[in-house]
Amino acid sequence: MDTSGITPHKRVMERAAGRGFWRSFRTATWLGWQIESNWTDPFLFAIYSFIKPISTAAILVVMYGIITQGNFESPIFTYMYLGNAFYIYVGAVMAGVSWAVIDDREHYKTLKYMYVAPINIPMYLCGRGVAKFIVGTISVLITIVFGMLFLHLRIELAEVKWPLFFLALIIGVFMLAMMGLILAGVTLLIAHHVWFLGEGVAGALYLFSGAIFPLEVLPPAIRWIGYVIPITYWLELLRRSLVGEVADAFPTLQNLSNEQILGILIGLTIIFTVLAIFVFRWAELRAKELGLIDMVTNY
Amino acid sequence: MSDRISALGQLRAKKATGFMLSIKTVIARAYPRVIGAQREKSWMFFDVFLPMLAVSAYVFVYRAINAPKEYIGFVVVGGAMTAFWLNVLWSMSSQLYWEKEQGNLSLYIMAPNSMMAILLGMALGGMLMTALRAAAILALGSLLFNVEYEVASFWQLFAVFLLTMVALYGMGMMSASLFLLLSREAWHLANLAQEPIYLVSGFYFPISSFSFWIAAGASLIPLTLGLDAMRQLVFPSGPALGFLTVNTEILLLVVLSVVFVLGARFLLVHLEKLAIREGRLTESRR
Amino acid sequence: MNFAIKTEELGRVYKIRGGKKSEPRELIALNRVNIEVKPGELFGLLGPNGAGKTTLIKILTTLLAPTQGKAWVTGLDVEQEAEKVRPRINMVSGGESSGYGLLTVRENLWMFSQFYGLDSGESNRRIKELLDVVGMGDRINTKSSDLSTGLRQKMNIVRGFLTDPQVLFLDEPTLGLDVGAARDVRQFIRQWVDLDPTRTLLLTTHYMVEADELCDRVAIINGGKVLACDTPSRLKHDLQSDAIFRIETTPLPGRDMQSLQSLPGVKQFIHREKDDRSVMEFVLAEEQVFSAVINQLSTEDIPIHNFQKREPTLEDVFVNLVGSSMSEVEGSGRESGS
Repeated sequence: MDTSGITPHKRVMERAAGRGFWRSFRTATWLGWQIESNWTDPFLFAIYSFIKPISTAAILVVMYGIITQGNFESPIFTYMYLGNAFYIYVGAVMAGVSWAVIDDREHYKTLKYMYVAPINIPMYLCGRGVAKFIVGTISVLITIVFGMLFLHLRIELAEVKWPLFFLALIIGVFMLAMMGLILAGVTLLIAHHVWFLGEGVAGALYLFSGAIFPLEVLPPAIRWIGYVIPITYWLELLRRSLVGEVADAFPTLQNLSNEQILGILIGLTIIFTVLAIFVFRWAELRAKELGLIDMVTNY
Repeated sequence: MSDRISALGQLRAKKATGFMLSIKTVIARAYPRVIGAQREKSWMFFDVFLPMLAVSAYVFVYRAINAPKEYIGFVVVGGAMTAFWLNVLWSMSSQLYWEKEQGNLSLYIMAPNSMMAILLGMALGGMLMTALRAAAILALGSLLFNVEYEVASFWQLFAVFLLTMVALYGMGMMSASLFLLLSREAWHLANLAQEPIYLVSGFYFPISSFSFWIAAGASLIPLTLGLDAMRQLVFPSGPALGFLTVNTEILLLVVLSVVFVLGARFLLVHLEKLAIREGRLTESRR
Repeated sequence: MNFAIKTEELGRVYKIRGGKKSEPRELIALNRVNIEVKPGELFGLLGPNGAGKTTLIKILTTLLAPTQGKAWVTGLDVEQEAEKVRPRINMVSGGESSGYGLLTVRENLWMFSQFYGLDSGESNRRIKELLDVVGMGDRINTKSSDLSTGLRQKMNIVRGFLTDPQVLFLDEPTLGLDVGAARDVRQFIRQWVDLDPTRTLLLTTHYMVEADELCDRVAIINGGKVLACDTPSRLKHDLQSDAIFRIETTPLPGRDMQSLQSLPGVKQFIHREKDDRSVMEFVLAEEQVFSAVINQLSTEDIPIHNFQKREPTLEDVFVNLVGSSMSEVEGSGRESGS
């Protein structure tokens, strides 16, 4: 039997392991998009993509409008509106990554097969979050454009610091994916009825991240939480890159330059990445010990 | 084995019908929810603590823009009531989609019980978690943010709350019947309904801020009128910021209750027949 | 006569949605099905995957409306009188995952019993007895999420019998069960029907042995049509005049068998390749044709390892009606929806 064309088993496995990260991510991205884009009615999808983010923004706009009698020129409005717009990524990416565990385990019942396959699970989960990131980007864009067209949101495109903006955005999305991975680990260990964990935690962080009000509004006893969450720095960088003078109007992080904030964001992202790796691995091990990988608990 | 089989053969099962069957169904369907909450207690943290933080965010927004004190109270009361809206939306209406995926829906339809009883059981079973969430937000929020209440009439408040729940859950049953026909879009529609309802129902601000016709349209959702009436009854400045008078809103809630409960009964029967005709009850399209 | 189950020209067409750009197409799942099942009968519906068995059961259990024809269960129209039908029936499907993982076996079964109005005390008593019958008495307090596939299926089977239905529908009930468990379940099914002449059971299966052993009468279904309906012995008896031979030879991968198939007197010919041999089954018009088959094999220089004459089985009945074996039909992916 002529075996000259058959690559030795060991080399095949080594190559497969090396490509495992990219293969897992790529396949999961494709799968995530198939699931997200599987709408029976694209028109309904368009309405969904428009109405949902606008409604969330509109709650804040109405609240603000009632109290300030429509003073949309104030920098606090821009602060609030932009923070809320970009915060959509927090729910989308964090929820997208952790939701994949619930979806695969409880609904499609494929999680056990993913664990049996030679793929990298964290990369797989991150890949599944990409589709939500894309949908989230559409929502963010719609919200900002709507604000610029109808709500006096002033962003001078010529004055935007684009390199800083894109750098902050990329680092931030990666940071959110790592936070999502931590939640995914927790999700491996809990029952189905906390399927909203990703969105729930995102909702809770809304309070501490300076998204819709400056951190100074918080009581001192809990204000420090905002300073250890990378989301705070991420949103601040995005605001500074888009509308520099708004950031100047608020004392939060005023003493820090853009470079310093970027450095802190990168540092915290690294810390959360390491934390994500440890938490997820521990949770995985625990889930395997307890036989939870194929748990179905919907009630 | 043959002895046991013989014994079973002689035992004819007595079965309840009508109202007793409905009661048994409600209790039986509530049971998994109640027991599940007992056996997996992590929901206490996620269902109480996390939403409290989200509600607090809106409180601090009002503080950041120097809103009058009663608006903090509006947020706390509205935040507490979101628990019921989410229960109706996710634990009742769209739950039939998940039951279809699990294979339970066909067993429910095939059984001689009524779907309304099944849905009521789901709703009541989830009520433990829902009520706890609402009470926790109300209690914690009031304590943390020094919200003061001045109840004008406990009877009216009780009536408003009860009617709001009946109308809301009736509406939930109506929408559940629509979910009999839907597949994956059910989840998206439920997701879509979440924030717009927070907006138009005035969960975090008085709906009198909208124009009359927008507020009137929003009043089709029972929580809109319920929240507005509750605020008028528990806050001194509530009546000044109310949409309609409390008595008018109570009357409208009665009408909504009747319409939605009867509508639910009608729709559940007719849409079940439609789903059976179109073969939607047992399909699995994710 | 009052029938427990009756269908008249029953048909069901599905509209299948293709991809996003393609037009929906029609799939005929059932085509003018006429069956009559007497009370007290254990009736089998035998056919390959996709034959229409599950579609028929869904219609009879009021979950699906027919697109043509009518059906009655215990004399009640399944479409117009569904509410009256439901208290009298129950259904168990093979491989189903109904119930709730966080509840125990007893709790899941009790819950479903309540949907039929059973008294709680009686329900618990019946649950215990039925679980003992299927050999799960010691798992009564186990969470259903901790059960294996086979045990879950046993729990589902118990759920079907628990409510004491007048007509019980079992859709591939032994799927996922080991040999011993499947045998126990079949024994129980038979005894359950025999104990009370008012009970009727309709069973779908694609296991020939199951249909042969259990059923009073069997309808063979393929492509949405009932091809034959009679007792297993009478169905096989119709083939008795034919001679059925099985011949094993050396492996013959890719060999053209036309010369054997076209021999005069060969009514049906099935050829299967296994690892170490080739298996041929001949249905011959008469026994004398066998010598011509042997001669042809000799002419083609095919060494024979083994041959035997055998009695017709339901598989042979199926092959005679359809022209292929059940596994060949399933393998060719012929769809009629079920």
